[in-house]
Amino acid sequence: MATKILSVDDSRTIRLIVGKAFRPYEVQLFEASNGEEGLAAAAREKPDLIILDVTMPVMDGVTMLTKLKENAELKGIPVIMLTAESGRDNVLQIAKIGVRDYLVKPFKEDQLIEKAGRIVTLQKKPAA
Amino acid sequence: MSDAANYQELARKYGFAPKLESASRLTQLVARQDSDVDEIAKVINKDPVLRDRLLRVANPNAENAAEYNIETVDEALMRNGVGCAMVLAMGTPLALALIKTFQTMLSLKLEFIDRQAAEALENEHLLGTISFAGKVVGAVYLRMNLPSARAVAAGILGLTPEDMKDTSEIFDVAGELLNIVTGNFKSNLCDAGLDCKLQPPAMKVSTDASSPVVPGGAMEHMTFRVNQIQVFVDVTANPWNDD
Repeated sequence: MATKILSVDDSRTIRLIVGKAFRPYEVQLFEASNGEEGLAAAAREKPDLIILDVTMPVMDGVTMLTKLKENAELKGIPVIMLTAESGRDNVLQIAKIGVRDYLVKPFKEDQLIEKAGRIVTLQKKPAA
Repeated sequence: MSDAANYQELARKYGFAPKLESASRLTQLVARQDSDVDEIAKVINKDPVLRDRLLRVANPNAENAAEYNIETVDEALMRNGVGCAMVLAMGTPLALALIKTFQTMLSLKLEFIDRQAAEALENEHLLGTISFAGKVVGAVYLRMNLPSARAVAAGILGLTPEDMKDTSEIFDVAGELLNIVTGNFKSNLCDAGLDCKLQPPAMKVSTDASSPVVPGGAMEHMTFRVNQIQVFVDVTANPWNDD
């Protein structure tokens, strides 16, 4: 069964890059463009991993992470933050709420795959 | 454990790139309204890159170093005020973030060049703006000619420039590029106690290549080039905003 990954980012560009990174793997990718949509997608799809931006309209990533951790059904889903913001207060706050890893933009697709691969099984698709 | 020590431990765990010590120190010094100018000068003098950039900011009309009227760091700070060092402190992480973004996402080695050495922007070009407000107020402006913007957008998405037919797609990628570089420099400001919030990027096609004017504020113009791609970045800042 494919690994389910949810990408939550308001930037279509980042969602495209994340999609491209996981294309060679048996991954079912879901997308959301803000925290509110992300929470709904997490509840619906129960992904194995969430890749989460911080600054987004409607609901930001920190609020989504907080709500996720308050929800008994969703709090166990591991989260990787993917953001350009690596300021001390942000990082400390996010780490306190609870994330498995943190990747600062700009990033290489390999870095994302490496970090995700430490948390979930990433199986290469058979060659066509 | 202190916040600083906790952060260092997390930065190691997550594999963050080390921050540029001199720029961070300069930002912290400039953020204090009562900072000692001698102390600021000492930090700038220790870093040849910061020194060169300060003199360039202090001599905005000079074509090259031989035409500088202001030749020392002390003189530059005395004549232009500490706001000059502020824009320098802000511009450094911004420039590094832009260079790193090109290297990481496009495998291109962007180089800093004198604006006079660049081919001037003519006709229509892409202009992206991100404003920030808080304890420091200002904006970052990014300009590229349209073929450059198309090539950069295509490169980031792993496509060819011919695939990028829709201007809104180019805007989206260039907006994210601007978000990434500005987000990195915002972290530096916040770490120095200059909390501020970024506005979403505003993208448009412009025919006006003139630099914005910021009354009472400082400004730095930076120009970068790789292959046929030129990137123009202007940073304006008004520190110690009391609003």
